[in-house]
Amino acid sequence: MSAPTDAVDLSARGGTASGRLDLFTQLRRDPWALAGLIVVAVFVLAAIFAPLITAINGQNPYDYNLHALDSSGAPKGWGGGISWRHWFGVEPLTGRDLFSIVVYGGRLSLSVGVLATLVAVAIGVLVGLTAGYFGGWYDRVASRVVDVLLGFPALIFIIALTAVVSANFPRPVLIVLVMGFFSWPSVARVVRGQVLSLKQRTFVVASEAMGAGDGHVLWRQLLPNVGATIIVYATILVPSMIGFEAALSFLGVGVPPPTPSWGRAIGTSVQWFSTDPGYLVFPGGALFLITLGLNAFGDGLRDALDPRTSRRRGILHRIAPRSARTHGRQRKVTA
Amino acid sequence: MRKFSTATAAALVAAALVLTGCTSHGATNSAKTGGTLTLLTSASTVSLDPASSQNLATTTLGLLDRRLTTWDVQPGKDAKVVPDLATDTGRVSDGGKTWTYTLKSGLKFSDGSPVTSADIKYGIERSFSDQLQGGLSYHKTLLVGGDTYTGPFNGQSLASIETPDAKTIVFHLDKPFGDWPWIVSMPAFSPVKESNGSPAAYKKAPITTGPYKVASINDGTSLTLVRNPYWSKATDDVRTASADKVVFLESQNPSTTVQNLINGTGQYADAFGLQYLGAADLASVTHNASAKSRLATSQAGPIQYLALNTQRGALKDLKVRQALEYAVDKQAYLVATGGPQAGTLASTLITPGIAGRQDYDLYPADASGDVAKAKSLFSQAGVDPTSLKLTLLTQNDDASLAQAQAIQQGLKRIGITVTLRPDDQNSFYTDVAASNPTFDLALMSWQPDFPSANSNISPLFDSSQIGNGNFNVSQYKNPAVDAAIAAAQAEVDPAKAQADWAAIDKQIMADAPVVPLIYAKQSFLRGSGVGNFFIPSFPAYPDYMTVTLGK
Repeated sequence: MSAPTDAVDLSARGGTASGRLDLFTQLRRDPWALAGLIVVAVFVLAAIFAPLITAINGQNPYDYNLHALDSSGAPKGWGGGISWRHWFGVEPLTGRDLFSIVVYGGRLSLSVGVLATLVAVAIGVLVGLTAGYFGGWYDRVASRVVDVLLGFPALIFIIALTAVVSANFPRPVLIVLVMGFFSWPSVARVVRGQVLSLKQRTFVVASEAMGAGDGHVLWRQLLPNVGATIIVYATILVPSMIGFEAALSFLGVGVPPPTPSWGRAIGTSVQWFSTDPGYLVFPGGALFLITLGLNAFGDGLRDALDPRTSRRRGILHRIAPRSARTHGRQRKVTA
Repeated sequence: MRKFSTATAAALVAAALVLTGCTSHGATNSAKTGGTLTLLTSASTVSLDPASSQNLATTTLGLLDRRLTTWDVQPGKDAKVVPDLATDTGRVSDGGKTWTYTLKSGLKFSDGSPVTSADIKYGIERSFSDQLQGGLSYHKTLLVGGDTYTGPFNGQSLASIETPDAKTIVFHLDKPFGDWPWIVSMPAFSPVKESNGSPAAYKKAPITTGPYKVASINDGTSLTLVRNPYWSKATDDVRTASADKVVFLESQNPSTTVQNLINGTGQYADAFGLQYLGAADLASVTHNASAKSRLATSQAGPIQYLALNTQRGALKDLKVRQALEYAVDKQAYLVATGGPQAGTLASTLITPGIAGRQDYDLYPADASGDVAKAKSLFSQAGVDPTSLKLTLLTQNDDASLAQAQAIQQGLKRIGITVTLRPDDQNSFYTDVAASNPTFDLALMSWQPDFPSANSNISPLFDSSQIGNGNFNVSQYKNPAVDAAIAAAQAEVDPAKAQADWAAIDKQIMADAPVVPLIYAKQSFLRGSGVGNFFIPSFPAYPDYMTVTLGK
């Protein structure tokens, strides 16, 4: 069932063919979003085809190249040992190929980021949808739980948890579950707010009056109408998850070595900065680019899906700096 | 000082970023004579109680407490045990089971009262108390009745320590023990006044006998020592006590410490770091000519080794353990540690610098191992290395993880899958010393507590040292070795004892309970104002007793 035209809150215009076409046209007009999308696509492809890409010059992120290091364990040569064999140089103390580490590290960052986001969105949508629709004591309990979790010192808890959980439990799975668990409350809060206003709408009231069950209303009436919000939210959640994973690895409680990880590489490289700055620049640059790309794309996607901003898009681009647009939205709609 | 590691670098990298930019440069004393010596430590507190201390005789507590004997260390010479409070290093009788010491005249505590043999006896008795655990414990198993004694705080005293008069102290051991003069140089053999003896009172305001006394204690920040007016150079042949004041700055990030010392301005000119440098810091010092000239590097000393849990799975098989001796890539491990300036490859258990050490290699191979030989030993054992999955327990700081990965990639060459289990420092020592450990491999390091092969071998390979917080991490049990250790410990003739230990060394390595990796060279950095800063052949730490201030 496609959404009625009077549902305006970030409603699912993507549900119809013309809406989808519109979305791409709008995205194409936004150079930031387009650049973000390209960056993200490059990283995703690099992660998927990591073994093929690193095979071009016969490298992988696990083999030691001690001959590429000097007697103190620092890389020989310029920029941390950059050469035609090692495009980004090599890692100090091991001589492992830094380009391979960055490319393979993207696999971990992207997969953990996306999976943790899926966990967060799944829980968040389920709780937000039901809390907003059913209301009552269930809503009050769910909202308090959300409040508590939002104020919870998640990072400290996760560090403690990784120390306690058995070493036999696969660490990436643990990280995905824990990060997802601590990130769903913000999703739930946004979805609940949307549902609260949507359930007053005539199409929902009409559905109920015609005898539709709760399941039907939640699944066929409400969920499609919060779909756009969820997609936008997820796109913006992914980079924060990637940053979260990198922070855990930086602190030494992420995925154990030798699995390549940007966060761990950044953490180790800090000590090497004075002798080998290249070691910090490449993994740090990769983390910076992917989070920037995802954020830019997420921003563009939100603008494209939000009819209130998109209607005046052409004008807004000229009159307002990007950062001001978000804040200006409410006023322009009421105008 | 058995637990030594490059501190908790990993957990602190975040802080390093912040701290490098904003270290305080406090008021400094421009007068070099006398002056203030600053010591930079990563520890959050400097523990002062000798009863619970594992300090070497030449480090921190040596500034505060005198013992019956102490160590005379000189650059390029073997460490010697020399009299400190006592007039000699001990008179032995009863075939090595009774040791008698006489105190020098004119010894005083920092409150002016005289030191008596009863104060030394009381100091030793304190180390048996449950309230004061964690100290070196060699004497606890040697003194008669030590196994059941629970300390002086419930009014009991230890009968095997006699004090016939105020200047004489006699020890009765339950077996002959030739290295006893070294044992009485340990912190527990410092005199403690009974009125100052409760752990709480001592912690707050210790009354000391060394050249310094405690002026102020700010746990987590600093510890300040000033001169003890009752200490007399005339009775002390070892300590020179050049500085008027010694300040320990605590909770210092290791990398920040190194940066401060490289810059060497303000208080950091008259300072040195107490932690040895990790690979990354070592690289940045060697790329700075001024700092490089202020670096003191030890000779190859403490052994770093891979412990193989001899009671688990395939590792029960001697052939498998011998195969691992060949499979490990010691070269990659050495590079991960910081290269030739951080150590030399190891093949024996007794470390260089210990009298009587014999160099040998039962498993000769290239520095990076012998993969073919390892594979053939595996096929002789009938074990498929590709089916072997081993857990390697390691500390989770960057330095240890780099070393652990070097082991991991070395064993991967013959198809063994090694999973790293990184532990923070405290859980690591709990886990390795647990009675029923759940790891296959563990990365360990060992600095002997006194320069005798006994201290290299018995704590690590005697079957009585398995579990319960002890350090036989390989769970190695060999009755023949146990008997040989007991015989060598009882030997009072040093030359004969040294030959015995060298034979035990080979006997143990034939069973391959550990893979010796490197003998570490430890490097320490000083500021430009610190003189006579050297690292003796034993121990691999600077001698705090004789450093001077002023160029």
